[in-house]
Amino acid sequence: MWYPIGFTVAANPSAALVKVNEDGTATVVSGTVEIGQGSLTVLGQIAAQVLGLAADDVVVVAGDTDTSPMDTGPIASRTTFVTGEAVRRAAVTARQVLFEVAAPILAVPSADLEAAERQIRVKAYPQRTLPIAEVAARALVRDGSPPVGVGTFNPPTVAMDPDTGQGKPFAAYVYATQIAEVVVDDETGEVEVVRITAAHDCGTAINPALVEGQIEGGIAMGLGMALEEEILFDDDGAQLNPNLTNYIIPTTLDMPRIDTEIVETHDPVGPFGAKGVGEPTLVPTAAAIANAIFDAVGVRITDLPATAEKVLMALRAGQGATPPLPATGR
Amino acid sequence: MTRDREQETRHVETRGGEADDALQRLVEEAVRPVPALAPGSDLSAAALTAEVNEQTPALGLRVVRPDSRTHVTGATRYAADLSMPGMLHAAFLPSAHAHARIRAIDMTGAAGSPGVVATLTGGEIPVNSFGSTYQDQPILAVDRVRHRGDLVAAVAAETEQLAREALTKIRVDYEPLPAVFDPLEAMSDDAPRLHGPSNVYTSKTIVRGDVERGFAQSDHVFEGRYTTQMIEHAPMEPFAAIAVWEPGGRVHLTTTVGRITLARTDLARTLGLPVSRIRVTASILGGNFGGKNEIRVEPALALLSRKSGLPVKVVYTREEEFASSTVRHPLVADYKTGVTADGRLVARRVRLVLDGGAYASWSETTVGKAAILATGPYRIPNIHVEGCAVYTNKTVGGAMRGFGAPQVCFAYESQMDEIAHALGIDPLEIRLRNGFQEGAISPTGQVLEAVGLTETLQAAARRAGWPGVGA
Repeated sequence: MWYPIGFTVAANPSAALVKVNEDGTATVVSGTVEIGQGSLTVLGQIAAQVLGLAADDVVVVAGDTDTSPMDTGPIASRTTFVTGEAVRRAAVTARQVLFEVAAPILAVPSADLEAAERQIRVKAYPQRTLPIAEVAARALVRDGSPPVGVGTFNPPTVAMDPDTGQGKPFAAYVYATQIAEVVVDDETGEVEVVRITAAHDCGTAINPALVEGQIEGGIAMGLGMALEEEILFDDDGAQLNPNLTNYIIPTTLDMPRIDTEIVETHDPVGPFGAKGVGEPTLVPTAAAIANAIFDAVGVRITDLPATAEKVLMALRAGQGATPPLPATGR
Repeated sequence: MTRDREQETRHVETRGGEADDALQRLVEEAVRPVPALAPGSDLSAAALTAEVNEQTPALGLRVVRPDSRTHVTGATRYAADLSMPGMLHAAFLPSAHAHARIRAIDMTGAAGSPGVVATLTGGEIPVNSFGSTYQDQPILAVDRVRHRGDLVAAVAAETEQLAREALTKIRVDYEPLPAVFDPLEAMSDDAPRLHGPSNVYTSKTIVRGDVERGFAQSDHVFEGRYTTQMIEHAPMEPFAAIAVWEPGGRVHLTTTVGRITLARTDLARTLGLPVSRIRVTASILGGNFGGKNEIRVEPALALLSRKSGLPVKVVYTREEEFASSTVRHPLVADYKTGVTADGRLVARRVRLVLDGGAYASWSETTVGKAAILATGPYRIPNIHVEGCAVYTNKTVGGAMRGFGAPQVCFAYESQMDEIAHALGIDPLEIRLRNGFQEGAISPTGQVLEAVGLTETLQAAARRAGWPGVGA
């Protein structure tokens, strides 16, 4: 499977603000919103990486239009790629203030400085250092140049031709493979997914634990799509199952063993080579399960969800006995 | 830090009197604080902080989320947990029909119902429409309802129970209209129309090469129809919001919305106010999955707050979350694929019909992504993809994790296995043979970079113990 990062051609910018506080901690202000995926943690890690700080040195504040810069928000798997790049750029600008303050003290041009291990240090002489806390305090209190930075980013795209669709709708794509193992009860048609192996290319994994969390959550959602979730309607257009007692979603107990493999590539555009992983984790799951059902009992389900009833009807119809023949004509 | 480096640091010159003193104090006090995000505990702060969170460089580390502890201990306060002094509770009346003209709405009974402070109908909303591409969706329906999840009126009362009781006293005079529920039927000339002259409201075409010539060059041609269902986001937390029309004339919404910048724009537009007079604060979201990407009834809450002079809150029930939010588009997809005898894809024609429900919402994006991705991450020299979205009198298809991609992936990966099976080729092998490599040309003619497809195929096969693949 493949999946793009960001909006289709349309502008989807992010702006971010990074402040290095006078004690060497930092605050990131973003207009995105944490929706449970851990995006604020990733944004903090990006700022920390640029500033040579640890994750806990950075606090990310988000989600208030009065204080946050504009952001397109947590949609289209774009937060790490787009908001993350805006944060990276903002942090680079804030870091440059620290470099300018530290340069005369360390007696080198600011271009020769780097930020690492909570120090501003001379690249060629890493033993020549100043604590970031001291540089940040000096910047604010003595030099009068608060170390702040604003960064913006909008992924580069090219409009699509209206007749042929030719163009560059997205700046980056991710790729993934999921393999499902199922047990099918050929008397009831019930399908039990016992294992999913998921390998996802997400660019650089800024936080592998959160990448794995996205993969596991996406598989749960894909499992529901594959086997049981469906809104049903009566003849008058009213939903028949609008609650969680009869619209069944997978619970923890329904989850199979999941083995994840993070395949890192280096994206030329994203922050530190990162792409994204939010939506694509769900994309291949239902297809993998449907293919595993065929492999197990020779039944090809082409109409989701693959409920026990559908699988059993297909088995009874003898579909399992005769796998489909190749079409010969054209 | 070595002693030498410490001394070097200390010997840095400082000058400047008072500023230096302040600087000295700050430097001395520059202890690294542990964020006070965890609830009270007898454990030391050091024990509560993952060591990894203190390490540099931060990139690539398994940093522990600062909010994980509050989530699992129940200390996180979601929108439904918030309240304000004097706050009223709103409730919304859903449509009684899938498709009907509204002749009249009588709010008299509801307005006089116990505990009711304010009522609202769509005619009182300055700009009563919203939508990400086409603003075809009313916040409160005025003259017509197009699905059962349309909301026709609102009340604000002292308690949620009193608000819901008042809903039963609203009298709506409907004239039922013929409805259409099947997307293919909705495309026919004699189907009931929901909006304009056609129920087909957005489409996308992708063409490369010559698909008919490709079929002619193929050794085998496979055809199949794949369909997928309507799915609810089912976040743990249903929609909730609190509106305050502040005495100074600013409007503050605390709401379960992910896209606050867009929500601010939409609130300014619907309420007829400058953007600077709107404040949107996102609460901590208990799941989004695309269902919380745009406003819902926030403008109605704001107007109820203005009429009552009090904060107004709503929390959707699970049934309201199902019926009046958005869902994943059901898909009907026809795939025709030509291959060589050794399983190389030569040509693929795809037709996609997405059931968009009653309003446009995110259908344009969904059709676009589905069409662009429809042929899969495979090198196919000749492709022709046509996708469209169709109005039906059902729940609105909107943004949902994957925007059409899970639906078309089910189709193209199912057919890939069918082809592999028929030709006697291993399903892993046929994907390796056809998959995008670095520098591949996408269906839209884009040169692809950082393509990790082959590596994911190999990594998953190794880990899963795929037959014939060494661990």
